Amino acid sequence: MDLVFWEIARASGLAAYAALCISVLSGVAPRTQALSFLAHNRAVRALHDWTPWIVIPAALTHIVALLLDATARIGVLDVLVPFLTSYGQLAIGLGTISFDLLIVVLVTTWMRRRLSNNAWQWWHRVSYLGFVTMFLHSMLSGTDLTSPVIAALSWASAIGIGYYALERLGRALNPARIRA
Amino acid sequence: MNAKSPTLPPIPAKTGPGRKRSPGPVPAWGLKLGGVLTTLAVFLGSFGYAGAHLYVTNAPLRPATVARVATTDASTASATAVPSTANTTTTTLTSAVRTTTRSAVTVTKSS
Repeated sequence: MDLVFWEIARASGLAAYAALCISVLSGVAPRTQALSFLAHNRAVRALHDWTPWIVIPAALTHIVALLLDATARIGVLDVLVPFLTSYGQLAIGLGTISFDLLIVVLVTTWMRRRLSNNAWQWWHRVSYLGFVTMFLHSMLSGTDLTSPVIAALSWASAIGIGYYALERLGRALNPARIRA
Repeated sequence: MNAKSPTLPPIPAKTGPGRKRSPGPVPAWGLKLGGVLTTLAVFLGSFGYAGAHLYVTNAPLRPATVARVATTDASTASATAVPSTANTTTTTLTSAVRTTTRSAVTVTKSS
């Protein structure tokens, strides 16, 4: 039975990564120069607002499968507190941090009306850090990332998101280009 | 109001507060369905891959299973060394292979 949980954990981990890529891309890409034509697209905005419904189930499946897998030896506390595991502390701890940051982003998004727009934006920017920690977690602990095809797809999506994130950061730091 | 006073140009609809978002060529439900199908495809594809590659020798994380195997097979395994800090007795390793006087079934070639 452990092997089934192990397979589910591996598959749902990659699915959670894919779902998070969709979420981040649909959020950042319309605000970049290359894909600015999507900025006023309601469908893309609706997709971004809706992506928690695919990220959360995938992430929870990954966590529950690892909790049920006796070989993985992941405890309930390890899900929320990083670097407590008896092995792979950094690799697994980064996954714990990304899950914590995901919770922060989701809770602050649902509390958006109670926050000022500026405060909500700063909390929402935590999602970039969450994506980076999740990417590092998948690279350092992902069993299937040893496959060249899966590794290439993961790197390609991360590079795409990194490119758009840096472009947006460049525009934010150089307001003159926005007015032009 | 003076008739010669300059009038401000109207605020473009795209930048004003009441700007309208276009639905785009693909409806929202289409993108959502695409997102679900992509995630499901990744899950099913990875599940199939994980099933075909259960034991990955170069996996980055390998939780230790020596202690677990030792406790379950302690009664049958006579030559299993279990690292333990609590037990201070000396572990004696004995060979479980016995010689026989029967004729050989297979031949092992050596160079």
